[in-house]
Amino acid sequence: MKKSLLYGAIALALALPASAQEINIVREVDSNNYDPHKSTARSASEVLFMLGDTLVSLEPDMSTLTDGLAKDWEVSDDGLTYTFHLKDGIKFCDGREMTAEDVVYSFERWIDPETNSPVAWRAGEVKSITAPDPKTVKYELEAPFSELLYQLTQSFATVVDKNNVEELGDDFGVTGFNGTGPFCWQEWLPRDRLTMTRHEEYSWGPEFYENKGAPHMAAITWQIVPEGNTRTVALMTNQSQITQYIPAIALEQVQQAPTLETVRSDAAFWTYFIGFKIDKPAVEDPAVRRAINLAVDQEALARDIMFDEVTPAYSYISENALDWDKSLEDKLLRYDPEEAKRILDEAGWMPGSDGVREKDGVRLAPVAYIQGGSTWQGLAEFVQAELLKVGIGMQIQTFDATVFWGKISTQEFDMFGMSYPYISAGDALNLYFLSENIPTPNRMNWNDPETDEWLAEGRHATDDNTRAEAYAKVLNKVHDAAVWLPLYHEPMTIVQSAELETVVPHNIYGSGLYKGLDLKFRE
Amino acid sequence: MIETILNRILVSIPVLFGVLFLGFALVQLAPGDPARVQAGPTAPPEVVEQIRAEMGLDQPVIVQFGKYMERLAHGDLGRSLISNKSVTSELAAAIVPTIELMVASLFWSIPLGIAMGTLAAVWRGSLFDRFIMAISVAGVSLPIFFICLILIQFLGVKFPLFPFIGRGGPLWTMEGLSHIALPALSLGMIFIGPVSRMTRSSVLEVLRLDHVRTARAKGLPEWQVILRHGLRNALIPVVTLVGLQIGYLLGGAVVTETIFSYPGIGRLAVGAILSSDFPLTQGTILALAVGFILVNLIVDILYTQLDPRAQKT
Amino acid sequence: MTATGTEGGDQAILPEAPAPARRRAWWRALLRDRAAAPAMLLLAAIVLAAILAPWIAPHDPSANSRAVMQPPAWTERGTWEYLLGTDSQGRDILSRVLYGTRLTLLIGLVAVGIGGIVGSALGLLSAMYRRIDPWIMRLNDMMLSFPAILLGLALVAVAGTGVLPVIVALGIASIPDCARIARSIGIGVMGQEYIEAGRAVGLSDLAIFRRYLLRNSISSIMIFLSLRFGQIILIGAALSFLGLGAQAPASELGMMAAQGRDTLLFAPHIATIPSVVIFVIVLCANITGDALRDVLDPRLQT
Repeated sequence: MKKSLLYGAIALALALPASAQEINIVREVDSNNYDPHKSTARSASEVLFMLGDTLVSLEPDMSTLTDGLAKDWEVSDDGLTYTFHLKDGIKFCDGREMTAEDVVYSFERWIDPETNSPVAWRAGEVKSITAPDPKTVKYELEAPFSELLYQLTQSFATVVDKNNVEELGDDFGVTGFNGTGPFCWQEWLPRDRLTMTRHEEYSWGPEFYENKGAPHMAAITWQIVPEGNTRTVALMTNQSQITQYIPAIALEQVQQAPTLETVRSDAAFWTYFIGFKIDKPAVEDPAVRRAINLAVDQEALARDIMFDEVTPAYSYISENALDWDKSLEDKLLRYDPEEAKRILDEAGWMPGSDGVREKDGVRLAPVAYIQGGSTWQGLAEFVQAELLKVGIGMQIQTFDATVFWGKISTQEFDMFGMSYPYISAGDALNLYFLSENIPTPNRMNWNDPETDEWLAEGRHATDDNTRAEAYAKVLNKVHDAAVWLPLYHEPMTIVQSAELETVVPHNIYGSGLYKGLDLKFRE
Repeated sequence: MIETILNRILVSIPVLFGVLFLGFALVQLAPGDPARVQAGPTAPPEVVEQIRAEMGLDQPVIVQFGKYMERLAHGDLGRSLISNKSVTSELAAAIVPTIELMVASLFWSIPLGIAMGTLAAVWRGSLFDRFIMAISVAGVSLPIFFICLILIQFLGVKFPLFPFIGRGGPLWTMEGLSHIALPALSLGMIFIGPVSRMTRSSVLEVLRLDHVRTARAKGLPEWQVILRHGLRNALIPVVTLVGLQIGYLLGGAVVTETIFSYPGIGRLAVGAILSSDFPLTQGTILALAVGFILVNLIVDILYTQLDPRAQKT
Repeated sequence: MTATGTEGGDQAILPEAPAPARRRAWWRALLRDRAAAPAMLLLAAIVLAAILAPWIAPHDPSANSRAVMQPPAWTERGTWEYLLGTDSQGRDILSRVLYGTRLTLLIGLVAVGIGGIVGSALGLLSAMYRRIDPWIMRLNDMMLSFPAILLGLALVAVAGTGVLPVIVALGIASIPDCARIARSIGIGVMGQEYIEAGRAVGLSDLAIFRRYLLRNSISSIMIFLSLRFGQIILIGAALSFLGLGAQAPASELGMMAAQGRDTLLFAPHIATIPSVVIFVIVLCANITGDALRDVLDPRLQT
């Protein structure tokens, strides 16, 4: 490693994009598209936060709401009407002024059944969205929605340009995107890179950013590099200046490199899990799902595969998240392979000739769909080996990120690997366990009227206790049914070149750089 | 002369036709319903039916093949399922980097291979000859990905002289050159072995010919004999070899481009296959195969130019 | 396409019909070759180890242990428990290499087998029945314009990733080269006097094919295939490296190298060991093939 530093200077001369205010961000996977209403991928959100803006924003503490396109807002006492007052002089990248009509159009497209958006539920039960004047947006609900403002900070609530959407049709978010964000779309080469340039007139960033004007960076390239090793080396040799996708194994080494700086935030709610389709043969048996939970050693996974950079997970959301039910702690399924074998024996799953169990002619060999890239390949192979020890022959099928999202909205598989961001129990549970969210994101096919009822109770609650109680009931029910195998909770860790000013890691939808307004080379 | 060339071109036409048919068959044989793939997994059945009609998938195969040929004639290879861009434009963007990579790898490896082979032939049986031959056998036996990984490790990380992600720009720019260095070094490496071996054996063969022996008998220095009489003739099989090896080189380019995140046709092909993007898969495979046919055509024509004997047959 | 040279290199110039007397002594000459003898021995040892993998592998190749990324035994932190160390999942590399070699060799052998059988049948028939020759050769040219790795990509695109599509693709890709070689050897044999003699005494086509043509061509074809074998292994490993071939939990050398890529900085042995094993296999196969050709082909002995 020492030698590499010696020669680092040569590399700087060769590899640096010549002192210009340009950076290269390497990341593991691409998105299927960059239409805010048509992708749920983190890789779409992290780009969209820079290309576009939302009415309200979230501070890095992950709980304080602050200004966005709206300078302020009021909520009626019954929790049904939200009134937003827009800032002045907001412009799209093409120079056109943004008005309240654009916000209305964006939200209507978001919830329009025709758009078929997998994230429409995040807008709440909308009665109407109107623009009484060019600077005011009125958002009226049928029923209160305790999380609406948080949802409006997400990239799905990005304001889009109607003309641009209509002009590009299916190519919207593929060949172009006209937003109001600090950066403007330049080009996307799928599975290769996405480039964006500074929005020169930008001056409406959220308060918490030091920079009140246009971004310091003239251009940003998001380069896809699927291999963790190459990403690490790219940072070390200054071919990339910042990323949140350094593999856990490399973090210790990276922290010792004087040319690099590592910043970490534990105010991050991002959980990795494997979900079960609960109406498929074999995994429909709760005994099988419980056994799988008992057979996998999350502690070993966190230590051996993730090098102690993550926290082993036994619960579906972080125990620090809002409305987590502490009484569940003792009931969580922890590593106990002997018990797993016992449960399987008891349920009638008996080892076949090759060691894989069977029952009534059904082999205990569930198919798991995972996303390509080294992270999930490593996780899936770990789980596969753990399960084989108790006689479960999990099969892995890997898909490129560009097709993965389509593949996991089908009914072809038994298990699926996923990781997701949330801000509270309500956010997480409404996302995954509402029956109306079948087949995606409710890929478990969890169809339970009681759950739906409790979730509605939580959403409509206007006081903290009612909400917490309602969500606690759901948490208990789904944990009891073992519909997931939780793996670990991940903090936000950003590795950056020491030549950049130290960034403050954000964690909104797992997008560590958020709007990138303060990205700046040291002087 | 012109007749030979025309004849050669004529021979290529059925081959080309066959390749185009294989490209068509590829999509026909692909699993799943192309209309469903195009529509996306959550589209309602009516939409799928509509797309099926638009794509002409409800018609007999022979009609579809006719339409496919017609579209090909217009340079229309369909649209990528992922980027929604026309396949032709995706190919156009990727073809230049791949040609650059090929040229850059051949540029250093062929002269070096010829030099090594000639010297080995001149000093046949010597330690140097054995050394060169050992290197060339080792060269053809190394997995291409291993060469890439070693080069990244040494010239990219330990002594970070060259970048190894992506393409820096056109070949004639400084950025472009520094970015292409490692991929071209890796890819050229698999060429050194075959070229030096072929050069060595054909130089040896030429040296046995009568007029070469005469020249040597006249007392000309060995290196003059080789340069004047040997090398030119000896290069004929080398040219042929290069043409035939282009296929192997294309294969190597697929791996090299993927490892170096280099935006060429090979990487495009692997990406398209991994994302079940059939129109793009078809396009990349057609482009690679047509490129291969073209190179061979050029090599054959070059061959008839170089070797007077070949013109008679 | 031109008639000389093949994808593999300069091995195209093959004997027309090796003299039987030379052939009897070939193995003696081979054993005298200072490069070939050890290469053959090493290759035999590797093949044997691969065949015996289930009995000699010290660990289950897909079972993970809690000892991840152990370096090989001869290094400072290594242990004798894991002779070649463990990978990032804590799997024993030695056991995986043994099983991986098995799969890699199997892919190569079956593919070369398919290519060899179909290719030589086509080539020899072409040589025997000159009427069908142009047709077969045209078809051949067409197939030749699909380089092996492309054919592999195409097949994987249609059939999905896996070992079987890779084997089939490599097999098909080997056909045209082999057919071309078999044809040129066959034409040489068909010109011999004993064919005329056989025809004169009224032997059937089948008898001529079996008694003369096949018997006199087979050794030359085998040499060609042995040279081809190394290349097939390399392409197969490359496809697996790209993630298009073997899938977890199976182990294949190219795939193991790909898995080791992510930890190249910290545990280079994980990618290096399987790569070196591939290299050694292919090197031995190539040296053996070269030596075989040199011994059996008087024209190339200089």
